[in-house]
Amino acid sequence: MKLPPFQYLEPSTVLEALSMLDTYRDTVQIIAGGTEVVNRLKLRLISPDYLMDIKKLPDLGGIAEHEQSIVIGANVSLNEIRDSSLLQDKYKAIAEAAFQVAAPPLANMGTIGGNILQNTRCLFYNQSEIVLKGLGVCHKRGGASCLAVKGGKRCFSVYLGDIAPALIAFDAKCVLEKSGSRRTIPIIDLFTGMGTQPLSIENNELLTGIIIPKQNGAYGSAYRKLRIRGSIDYPLASAAAFLALSADGKLAASRLVIGAAGCAPKVVARASAALSGKLPEDADFAAAADMAYELSEGVDNLALPGDYRRKMVRVLAQRALQGARADIKRGM
Amino acid sequence: MEKFTLIGKNMKRIDTAAKATGEAIFSADLTLPRMLIGKALRSPYPHARIVAIDTSKAERLPGVKAVITAQDMCGDKWGVFRYTQDQQFLPTEKVRYMGEEVAAVAAIDEDTALQALKLIDVQYEALPSVFTIDDAIAAGAPQLHDAYPNNINVHVKIDVGDIEKGFNESYLVREDTFSAPEDAYFQGEPYAVVAQFDQAGNLEIWMPNAGPHMKAKPLSNVLKIPLNKVRVRKITIGGAFGGRSEISPADVICAFLARKAHRPVKIVYTREENTVATRQAHALVTKIKTGVDREGKVLARDITCHMDGGAYSSTGPIATSVPFLCMEQAYRMDNVRYNGYRILTNKPIRGMYRVHGRAFACGIDIQLDMIGAALGIDPLTMRLRNARQTGDYTPTKSYVASCGMTESIVKAGEKSGWKEKFGKLPPYHGIGIGCNSVQTGFPMGIRGGSQAFIKLNEDGGITVITGIVDNGQGNDNMVVQIAAEELGLTPDDVQLISADTEVTPSDPGSYAMCETFIGGNAVRLAAQDVKKKLFRIVAGEFGIGVDNLTARDRKIFVTENPEKSMSIAKAVRIALSRNESISGEGSYWPNVDPKREWVKNPYGQLSETFSFGTVIAEVKVDPETGQVEVLEVTAAQDVGFALNPQVIEGQFEGGVAMGGQGGMLSEFLQWHEGRVLNPTQFGYLVPLAIDMPKINNIIVETIDPNGPYGAKEAGMSVAMSAAQAYCGAISNAVGVYFHDYPITPDKIVKAIEEKKQKENAEVPG
Amino acid sequence: MKEMKRYSLTLTVNNETHALVTPPNRTLLEVLRDDLQLTGTKEGCGEGACGYCTVLVDGQPVRSCLTLAVAMEGRKITTIEGLAQGGKLHPIQAAFVEHHAIQCGFCSPGMILTSYALLNNNPTPTEAEIRRAIAGNVCRCTGYAKIVKAVQSLAGEER
Repeated sequence: MKLPPFQYLEPSTVLEALSMLDTYRDTVQIIAGGTEVVNRLKLRLISPDYLMDIKKLPDLGGIAEHEQSIVIGANVSLNEIRDSSLLQDKYKAIAEAAFQVAAPPLANMGTIGGNILQNTRCLFYNQSEIVLKGLGVCHKRGGASCLAVKGGKRCFSVYLGDIAPALIAFDAKCVLEKSGSRRTIPIIDLFTGMGTQPLSIENNELLTGIIIPKQNGAYGSAYRKLRIRGSIDYPLASAAAFLALSADGKLAASRLVIGAAGCAPKVVARASAALSGKLPEDADFAAAADMAYELSEGVDNLALPGDYRRKMVRVLAQRALQGARADIKRGM
Repeated sequence: MEKFTLIGKNMKRIDTAAKATGEAIFSADLTLPRMLIGKALRSPYPHARIVAIDTSKAERLPGVKAVITAQDMCGDKWGVFRYTQDQQFLPTEKVRYMGEEVAAVAAIDEDTALQALKLIDVQYEALPSVFTIDDAIAAGAPQLHDAYPNNINVHVKIDVGDIEKGFNESYLVREDTFSAPEDAYFQGEPYAVVAQFDQAGNLEIWMPNAGPHMKAKPLSNVLKIPLNKVRVRKITIGGAFGGRSEISPADVICAFLARKAHRPVKIVYTREENTVATRQAHALVTKIKTGVDREGKVLARDITCHMDGGAYSSTGPIATSVPFLCMEQAYRMDNVRYNGYRILTNKPIRGMYRVHGRAFACGIDIQLDMIGAALGIDPLTMRLRNARQTGDYTPTKSYVASCGMTESIVKAGEKSGWKEKFGKLPPYHGIGIGCNSVQTGFPMGIRGGSQAFIKLNEDGGITVITGIVDNGQGNDNMVVQIAAEELGLTPDDVQLISADTEVTPSDPGSYAMCETFIGGNAVRLAAQDVKKKLFRIVAGEFGIGVDNLTARDRKIFVTENPEKSMSIAKAVRIALSRNESISGEGSYWPNVDPKREWVKNPYGQLSETFSFGTVIAEVKVDPETGQVEVLEVTAAQDVGFALNPQVIEGQFEGGVAMGGQGGMLSEFLQWHEGRVLNPTQFGYLVPLAIDMPKINNIIVETIDPNGPYGAKEAGMSVAMSAAQAYCGAISNAVGVYFHDYPITPDKIVKAIEEKKQKENAEVPG
Repeated sequence: MKEMKRYSLTLTVNNETHALVTPPNRTLLEVLRDDLQLTGTKEGCGEGACGYCTVLVDGQPVRSCLTLAVAMEGRKITTIEGLAQGGKLHPIQAAFVEHHAIQCGFCSPGMILTSYALLNNNPTPTEAEIRRAIAGNVCRCTGYAKIVKAVQSLAGEER
């Protein structure tokens, strides 16, 4: 399939990139690894006037350990994340998520920034004309109908990123820069929860880095992903968990995040509250997983039915919590 | 001395070095001077009347060199059979599926061609559509073709013995219904065609094909030019798997564009087009009623199968018959009735597929498991008790000259540890068995036989000329191997000219697993013809009888006295100097009943011989997610004789991937109003290296009396029975018999939930 | 259609440099096949799901169908045509031939390059590592068993 026409921008510094974004705003699309953007261009899901390539920008690489945090440049590839001994050791959910993104050659191209900022997907949206021609225009394409849910008043496209749930489990933040200013926001706040416009990043902002707060004491994490095949595929359901213990062995902090369960990754806040102060035991995990199930959304717009995928969110939530618990033991 | 030097040995394939370096040319790799890019405009409606087509704007676009519509053709309808001529390559009146070609352009580049498509104005009048078998045969349903009332395209009826009597005498009778949606070929190579005409009106055309002669004849018909002006050329082909045998609208469109533009034209399909606009496999609903005696021997079977054929006939009569025929070959069934219906719907066209009819074969097999469970007989024994035997006649009256069904069951059982495992595995572990049988060709009219020529060079090397085509399975190598063996040459001494309709003689094509049996026999006979002529010369020189000679190591020597020999080169030179013809010719016509016809007379010898295969699979199911981990697969097949064992293993392993791992776990087309929602590899889940289990290969050899060196076919019985084995294994692991395929994780989770609910309900108190 | 600036581009492919002028909306795959006639690199899906278009960029396998050609300035690209030297098959190619790891051959260029990169990065991969490394490359013919064997035959050998 052919690419649509565009002008190619290749800034040599972040500053220059920010200035270009400021100038071109809605008419520019940022490209890094290209694994998602090139597909969206080919399917004509986007047709920007300008494509700004940030892959060669200096200062967007590297995984750096600071006193209070780990800082990951937006252009760090998913394979670098996967292979980082620091992340494997201390931030296991993140390394596990990277290990399971797509397939190795794709993860070699894809970047952490691009993976987080990927758009939502739907069987009725990520398609070429040969499938969609003659059908109504769906919400996400600017129309007023939903092809997946008859009479659906909104878009049910699904956020299928693997990395974001794992980062959110660590309460990670991201740095958004624009000409003249920068802001640091929790990654969870990048997501609007709306299928049509799933990301809150502004059209003149560049995601430059990810900040993971350093953890101390006894803690563990895990990421679990369900897919039919052992590689390439997006998740049908996913869950990331972070657990920290206080000295008495009870849960001091816990965060359960679910993916592929709606238009955005979701923190199961009720689970955090319910697990607080408890011993990390299966029965409580099961209750937390039920809460994840309650929060999940699934309609028939991916490879397997929505009701099945919702049930799997529960299974994976439980398994992620168990995995995080095992990771604590490993760290002790 | 060993009997053979090349046959039966692991010979490196002659074609794969070029494939390893990127040197092998596939159709889309071709570039010709002044070549244009062709694109087809496709229907956005599943069913609509074409009111008007205006191409004038497209024609005026700079860079556009030709635009064609049905106006450019004569409105001829094409069909595989005289009674199924229902498809126009560009339709005149209406479109019948979403994606059907309505017009096409050729332009200087792809961008211009795509822009031109947007400028073609087609006015449609939308018609009501039908997308399912039930809707299509319902009273008052929209009709696709006048020729097929109630949208029944084909009805195959077979009735043998007395099924009522058989059921009456049965100890146990059960009836089940099985279903599966469409699967798809997903050949590696997306479809592509290059065509050009010369000043004399000769067409040269390249495309992936499973039989160049099967492409040439319809091209000749529709272009109204004689066959000798249609030159379907040899090209590397990236897989067929039962598809690509028939003419494709793309072939015809490309040729018409080239003729109209007076320039070469190339059409390369996108992956989506390959899925939607070539062929798909049929969706099936099969109702099976089986009666058995106390020992599990089948006394009667009544089968009704409905297949969703899509919008046109394609190979409909064959497709409607083959699922039944495979099973009547595999298992004895004296009293049997079969009603097969191919139903037309407003969906893309369906053809023959390597794993054709999973909801048929799995149904027959898993029902044997169910019956066995009721009788206390394990699945493997159930199959042994019903297995086809050498010397049998099938219900539709084919003689079975060689049959290793029992041997394949026994050997697969031993290797897989069936006895130690069945019924003794931990919870959610399971083991299952499947058996199947495949033809090596069937009556194909005048194209049923194959011919081959061999030409000798003065240095003793040869050129083999045959119509055999290689889709990737290794047929080219098979030809070279046979010719070299017969004449005592090395593979390097053999040049091959094949699959080119200008040069190569008639051949059925790589279809219905017939190339080794029919084409291979023809090549062998041609080589023997050459050998006979060479021997005559050498015998004359040595003053001995021709029966005392042997050809080996590029020499012809006296069998009893190997010291006495003459090089083949010298024998050739003697022949040349005497003006004596030593070229060889061979032709093979299989012993099939020419009166047998799919619909009108489905009785008589179908194929000269049949392969028989057994697969046993062992699986572990995750009861929470429904995911299946396949631990080990054992594949055994009676291949007659293994000409090249590693090639056969490759067919087994590929068959397990396609039939079992893909066909039973992950592969199915998803639909919305006649549209395929998973037309690419992102959505259609072809198994990956990481998913595949360990596979044990068992080659069973029965030495078929008429196969070349005893060979039959390699691997299709395995491909088909793999699906059945996976189905049995998952059912065994879960404790629920599955009726709908593929068995995706959601179905497994649902089955486990329902089973638990049922068990809880049954607990008293 | 929008007017596009054309870019001068120097591509280093199989140790040869090529000066090209191209609009920016072209993939590396298109440039390799159409401009450089390196047709050993195949297009199977155009969206990164099949792996047939795999080439090496600085030694790492990437999908050329998802890679912009203009972004390849200064990178070292290896295609399947770059493995055999002096007409002699590279050991990984020879192993694929020897072990019958090739049937139709459409996936072979990408599969061979992916295997080559694996063995360069990890000369002694386990079977599981091999299967994972090639898991992004779809093969419809072989069931992968003989591909894995071909790679295993070189694991631990001097190359």
